Amino acid sequence: MRSFGYAEAENAQGLAAALGKGYRIKAGGIDLLDMMKERIDKSERIVSITGMTELRGIKERDGGVAIGALTTLNEIARDETLRKAFPALPDTVCNAATPQVREVATIAGNILQRPRCWFFRQAEYNCLRKSGQACYAVAGDNTYHSIYPMGACHITHPSNIAPALVAVGAQIIASDGKNPKSYDIRDFFLTPEQDLKRENKLPQNEFITEIFLPKMPEKSAYVEVKEKQSFDWPLAACVATYADKKWSIILAHVAPVPLRATLAENVVGEKADIDENLALQAAEAAVKTAQPMAYNGFRVHLAKAVVRRALLKACGKDFHA
Amino acid sequence: MPMSGEFKEKILAPLMSISTGKDLKFVGKSILRKEGIDKVTGRARYVDDVKTPGALYGKTLRSSIACGRIKKISFAPNIPWDQFTIVDARDVPYNRVLQIESDQPVLCDGVVLHREEPILLIAHEDPGLVETAIRSITVEYEREPGIFNIGEGRILKQYDIEEGDWKKEFAAAEVVFEGEYKTGAQEHVYIETNGFIACWEDECLTVHGSMQCPYYVHKALKYAFKLQDDQINVVQMTTGGGFGGKEDFPSVLAIHAALLAKKSGRTVRLIYDRAEDMASSTKRHPSISKVRTACTKDGILRAIDFSFHIDGGAYITLSPVVLSRGIVHAFGPYKWPAAKLHAQCFFTNSPPYGAFRGFGAPQSLFAIEAHMTALANHLGMDPAELRRRNFIHRGDTMPTGQVVDEDPNMEALLDRALELSDYKTKRARWKRGGGKGISLSTFMHGTGFTGSGEVYLASRVGIATTKDGGAEVRVSSTEIGQGTETVFPQIAAEALGIDISKVSFRRPETKVVPNSGPTVASRTCSVVGKLVERAAGKLKQRLAGADIRQHYAQHGEAYEEVEYVPRPGLVWDDDKYKGSAYGAYSWCVNVAEVTVDPVTAMPRVDTLTATVDVGTIINPVLAHGQMEGGIAQGIGWATCENVVLKEGLMENHHLTNYVIPTSADAARIVVEFMPSPYSEGAFGSKGVGELPMDGPGPAIVSALNDAMEAKFTHLPLLPEEMLK
Ligand SMILES: Cc1cc2nc3c(=O)[nH]c(=O)nc-3n(C[C@H](O)[C@H](O)[C@H](O)COP(=O)(O)OP(=O)(O)OC[C@H]3O[C@@H](n4cnc5c(N)ncnc54)[C@H](O)[C@@H]3O)c2cc1C
Repeated sequence: MRSFGYAEAENAQGLAAALGKGYRIKAGGIDLLDMMKERIDKSERIVSITGMTELRGIKERDGGVAIGALTTLNEIARDETLRKAFPALPDTVCNAATPQVREVATIAGNILQRPRCWFFRQAEYNCLRKSGQACYAVAGDNTYHSIYPMGACHITHPSNIAPALVAVGAQIIASDGKNPKSYDIRDFFLTPEQDLKRENKLPQNEFITEIFLPKMPEKSAYVEVKEKQSFDWPLAACVATYADKKWSIILAHVAPVPLRATLAENVVGEKADIDENLALQAAEAAVKTAQPMAYNGFRVHLAKAVVRRALLKACGKDFHA
Repeated sequence: MPMSGEFKEKILAPLMSISTGKDLKFVGKSILRKEGIDKVTGRARYVDDVKTPGALYGKTLRSSIACGRIKKISFAPNIPWDQFTIVDARDVPYNRVLQIESDQPVLCDGVVLHREEPILLIAHEDPGLVETAIRSITVEYEREPGIFNIGEGRILKQYDIEEGDWKKEFAAAEVVFEGEYKTGAQEHVYIETNGFIACWEDECLTVHGSMQCPYYVHKALKYAFKLQDDQINVVQMTTGGGFGGKEDFPSVLAIHAALLAKKSGRTVRLIYDRAEDMASSTKRHPSISKVRTACTKDGILRAIDFSFHIDGGAYITLSPVVLSRGIVHAFGPYKWPAAKLHAQCFFTNSPPYGAFRGFGAPQSLFAIEAHMTALANHLGMDPAELRRRNFIHRGDTMPTGQVVDEDPNMEALLDRALELSDYKTKRARWKRGGGKGISLSTFMHGTGFTGSGEVYLASRVGIATTKDGGAEVRVSSTEIGQGTETVFPQIAAEALGIDISKVSFRRPETKVVPNSGPTVASRTCSVVGKLVERAAGKLKQRLAGADIRQHYAQHGEAYEEVEYVPRPGLVWDDDKYKGSAYGAYSWCVNVAEVTVDPVTAMPRVDTLTATVDVGTIINPVLAHGQMEGGIAQGIGWATCENVVLKEGLMENHHLTNYVIPTSADAARIVVEFMPSPYSEGAFGSKGVGELPMDGPGPAIVSALNDAMEAKFTHLPLLPEEMLK
């Protein structure tokens, strides 16, 4: 049986020291332990940070909101402030995964979780993202893969909450134990073209302490399409927010990164109130660059539907048909 | 050649009247599951929970091609191979897995007939090293083209049944309507994967495992190792679900574990992870049916011409009987003056398909039920009305020649289902293509083995007194989550006239329990339960009113055993494949209500209503559990469970991309039992295990067709197909 070293960090210094020795962070452990059990993550040393209570909680600060790295998905889903000021954010996670997972999964772990590509998740497939030579999704079952090509690997980004954070231009605050670091979430995630092995820029010796949302949007909505209503990631989702006369339209689960639909944002422009027609045009613009694979063409249609619906929902409109 | 109309049997005397439960103490009561507390508190021991210090961990090297020959197997030099136990075909005393036939090798001996076919077994104390070692073995093959489509390969089995002058009926018919219907494979996704632990002591073999049928495993071990009966003990551990998936497949696994244990002289654990289990184990047979019917303008059925084709995979396994159960349900609960039924199972280079809840009947019933709805639409008639005009009744003859000697009461089941679901109002209100649909299916399912199957099985059941003044039921019928461990004590307590708390259920192990047959075919509660009832009755007679505790103290254990006796008058002709296919049928009506998102085509089954006659209900909560679980499985098969086949292999052998419904997706399920008891079933019960799997598929696909104004005739019916 494979054994591994286990430590518990009590403070930032301790954690930084552990990271210096090559320890891997375990927050909720949902993703990390799964990856270890499947023998895809071969970490030999694990440091739990769940004892670092200062990393937990949601606070209003400097006109924005700071969410501690260890705040769980359910704490976010239940938060009254967020529910009022930025309803799309709790909406992204209130039905994610399962109730049990949401009680332990953390926001930092969520945005850092590894892709769900099932070739990647099986030890027997040595794919590009591991050390192999081929992306098995190209010739294999690619129903759940990217519909926007961004390099040789065709993962989709699995985080539900990331698109909401991208929409409002959140800052990821990290630390190496000495100095605070800050990353703009809008260029935090890496496409396979930028890096085949990593999905984000966080270096191994740093840890996230909080996510800071500088400003709450005036309007926001989240819409998803799921195959299963529990225990599953969406087939397509969209967050739309409106602030300072600008829309942010972010697609999730359809591309290797949370995808900013700039063409769609251009279509809606400054207009605060969007009607059915404009929403449809924006939706069409959003999927203009989509290039589905053999089995996932239908998800282009779903991507279109979630963009249209998110815009209408953000404007308080019914979107049934 | 079947000779039409030649076989006739006489109508049996009316069934004796049976108590419906009012005067019964335990039967008909929702007694708490006997093994329930152990399961929810984590005390129950599944095979993987068994501690085996010093045991070896086994793993299987499988073929990566579907068809061809093994040219060379090479072992990488960096592994200390002498520390591993390695087994190949030469180590098997008789390299065949005995099921109905014995065509399947235990391990490939040069020829590969399907992907994931076992080639080598390897074991070591360190499971991590086994993984590494497996990856350090290279197999070179000489590939041959495989066959992956139904109808292209050799015929594995064929049945033809005829009744009446069907040619004349078709020639004279006012309306002839035909269609083609397809169903996909389905994975069982039992919650516990397959696993066995094997050890040898003094030429005697003991295996512990997850299984439905201890004596099937026993038989297969005996054959492969050339052993005597008493050299083998097969012990069932707490088993996390089966659904047919642990009917035939565990025999292969048990032999593998025993081979490694024999060669190493150690205890060996061979327990699959989910991916290996899904890739290598059996699935539901995919099917293609062609149905042609003749009827009058007002929908009175005159004849059916049903051609039923299924994919058997690379070896025979249980396919002949799956095909048979499929074809003897293909005509549905309707009266046909004439019929031609043709069934063929084909070899392909897929891993062998196997038993799965319903055993061929869900496939053929999907075809006939989807066809009945399409025919009603063609005639401009309500699909409920078309069915009502054609239901079978007592005294009518089925296309198998079986004269119905029970009251199917399909009209009453239909009326109640329509009422419960408010079918008429909804059907009138919901326009075709408007995103909402309601439709139905009406069907039956035979209790027990088909034809003379139960006679050949000759099941035996034992019951013994215990020291504490109670009784112990001894059967090889297993608890696999469905309630055997509870309903048998209920039946025994009732028949013995002692308290339920005094009746225990002996964990099946072949050294101890008699062979009560396999835990399959909707037979456990009704057929085996009847034997429990009889055995308990016999024991009661022997005790003649004596206090059991005192009797035990004086005489030791009192044990009674009974054997199956067929119901008088039941005749089945194996050559002509005609006669009474089953002693009794369970009858059912399903109404499905669905909503489809008009933009994304995402379906939702809102409500599934079932009115059901499964005879006397022994335990209402457990019977509801069977119905609800089977319906949920039917919803999955119809709407999302898509086995993606690549060279015959399930490519999506992972729960990430093989989607099954969760409790949040299962519909509101409404079940109402309307029992008509069956004299030969325990306290009047009939089969309930498989029936619920039969109806949801066609009812849901028809409702989706209404909601989307479409004409689909296959399942699973996926949103992406409805979008096109
Ligand atoms: C059945 C199921 C369904 C799911 N469905 C969804 C879904 O619909 N949507 C969705 O978004 N997710 C879903 N998930 C994924 C789940 O939400 C994530 O796995 C979870 O959020 C990860 O958080 P964690 O705290 O457990 O992270 P961990 O597993 O502890 O860590 C994940 C990664 O982040 C790193 N990490 C964690 N915290 C820090 C930190 N502070 N600084 C630096 N590195 C850190 C770890 O080292 C590791 O690499 C699902 C999971 C399951 C099991």
